[in-house]
Amino acid sequence: MESRKPKDQPIAAVLLGRAFEPDEANRIFTEKIQQRPLFLTPSSPPPSNLRAARQRAREKKIAQRKKALKPKPLSASQRRKLGLYDVPREGQKYAIFEPLHNLWLGYMREVLGGEIYTGGEGAAAKLASAEFHGAEVEVVRSGCVSRVGIKGIVIKDSKFAFEIITRENRLKLVPKEGTVFRLEVPVPARERDGHQETATAKQDQPSSMVIEIHGEQFQYRSADRASKKFRSHFSKTL
Amino acid sequence: MLSFPAPSVYQASKCFVTYGVMGHLEPKQPPTKGKPWATLTSQDFIHSADLILPQEAFEVVNAALLTARPAPEFKKVTMSLQDIVTGPFFAEYIKKVGDVLMLSGGRRGIDNVYSLKHGVLTLFLDKEAYERAGLVGKPDGVKGKRGLKPRWVVELDLKGNSMFTGKKGFDRLVYAAKNALNTPVTWLFCNASSTTPNPDPLAQHSPSNVTSTPKVSQNINVAMPVLHPEVEFLTSGHREDLESFSTDIYEWLSLVRLQSPRVRPEDQIDPFLCRYQAPEAGQARLCKISWQGFLTPSWSRQILIDVVTAIPTNTWFSLSTTTFSKGMARDNSECTILRSPGLGGEYIMWEVRGHE
Repeated sequence: MESRKPKDQPIAAVLLGRAFEPDEANRIFTEKIQQRPLFLTPSSPPPSNLRAARQRAREKKIAQRKKALKPKPLSASQRRKLGLYDVPREGQKYAIFEPLHNLWLGYMREVLGGEIYTGGEGAAAKLASAEFHGAEVEVVRSGCVSRVGIKGIVIKDSKFAFEIITRENRLKLVPKEGTVFRLEVPVPARERDGHQETATAKQDQPSSMVIEIHGEQFQYRSADRASKKFRSHFSKTL
Repeated sequence: MLSFPAPSVYQASKCFVTYGVMGHLEPKQPPTKGKPWATLTSQDFIHSADLILPQEAFEVVNAALLTARPAPEFKKVTMSLQDIVTGPFFAEYIKKVGDVLMLSGGRRGIDNVYSLKHGVLTLFLDKEAYERAGLVGKPDGVKGKRGLKPRWVVELDLKGNSMFTGKKGFDRLVYAAKNALNTPVTWLFCNASSTTPNPDPLAQHSPSNVTSTPKVSQNINVAMPVLHPEVEFLTSGHREDLESFSTDIYEWLSLVRLQSPRVRPEDQIDPFLCRYQAPEAGQARLCKISWQGFLTPSWSRQILIDVVTAIPTNTWFSLSTTTFSKGMARDNSECTILRSPGLGGEYIMWEVRGHE
């Protein structure tokens, strides 16, 4: 290496000279700094050939086809405009939903089984994942006092509200927040050893199982509720 | 113009002192407006009333008040709100008779208390009962504690045109009475009017009649202060003098009502035990008549009218009425009227009111 005065050497060479031996410093300086390759167009695409271009076009077409087949979910305003979930005026009759309610009662007796007589934790766990379309609910307690007393059959169980049709054929949308709903399931008479119950014994049994749902803790879609594990929470508002 | 905001912390009871002149009483037209009369009628349910007179006036008052008029009666009955709002009780007592007073048992800040006065049903509810009842009401109590467990007041005018079966507002009340507020409670019932429906719808709930017979204590020897304020106290610059005078007189009157030995002329108590010193202006013999029960403000107004017309004009007397306590701290509101001796018909009135 020419021995120049440190003033004349470039700064990189001076610094390298401090770290390495003179031969090594010289080599690094020439290879990595002086003769460093400078890419003029660093992200230039590789030169295309026809085959690669055709393959690319084919893949793009498949992706677009897939996208067209999988539709995006509707937004709330689109849903409202389409009116997909509206019940038509002829359909807003309590009498139409009564058979649904009877079906629901049968379903509920089947779901609860023996626990319809005892109630308690087991019944609560089964009820938490049960379906409530067709149940006859009554609003028993609410932070908004005008909702108390609304009674009817559930026709839609959405994430935050129940849509209820009342006996006067009115459709009511009751939010679940801060509201307690009450349901009743009539209890079938119990048969013991194949003999029918006598009249006096029947009076001792309660005639229906009363269920109270705290809507505040119930704000899930019915589909999501099936797999949800409910834990008892301490409620500040109760 | 400028209204002060409602107090958000507990405020102690305040005493308002009024000095005035009672006008001439027309026996056919009992006065309702004006200071002593309006204050008496503005109280809601009176628990006890005391009348203090000089012994000389006792005979006249005895004839006019105690023997001429029957003692006030009230009833204790156990009913639920549903019995009041539906059925024959509602039709007879509330719609036809109208002037019934009822108060349910319980303390206002803690339990659910219901009261009925002039056809207005007032429900003092806690949060759960209010949310279950479904009736629209206003928040009750100091604003500072709103977040924790607010209480609510629901007021309903049962005499209105919309309070009939089939109307929406009334049906909501009936629903609430049937489902949410359906426990039977003990009520005090007083029929302020003179008509009783026949057959009595109250009879099926087996009420127990209570008569508040007046208790008379005679010949109480007391040391008497001067009951007439000096003329200069009443001018505008002497407010503190009037204040101290009225406080002394009120204190003395309260001790006489309690029949405390401290106001006896011969009382000798160690000032370490009691710092009160009875006034030394003279001695007198007094008598005290007291009623206790569930009394109506119209009755107390009538008593005042009777006393004023019965006793001679230059005799003094004092009438005090105490209401039922409204809150947990047992603060009652009270109204005490003292008519000064003299020909002017002047009176001093102390009105103690709790802030709620």
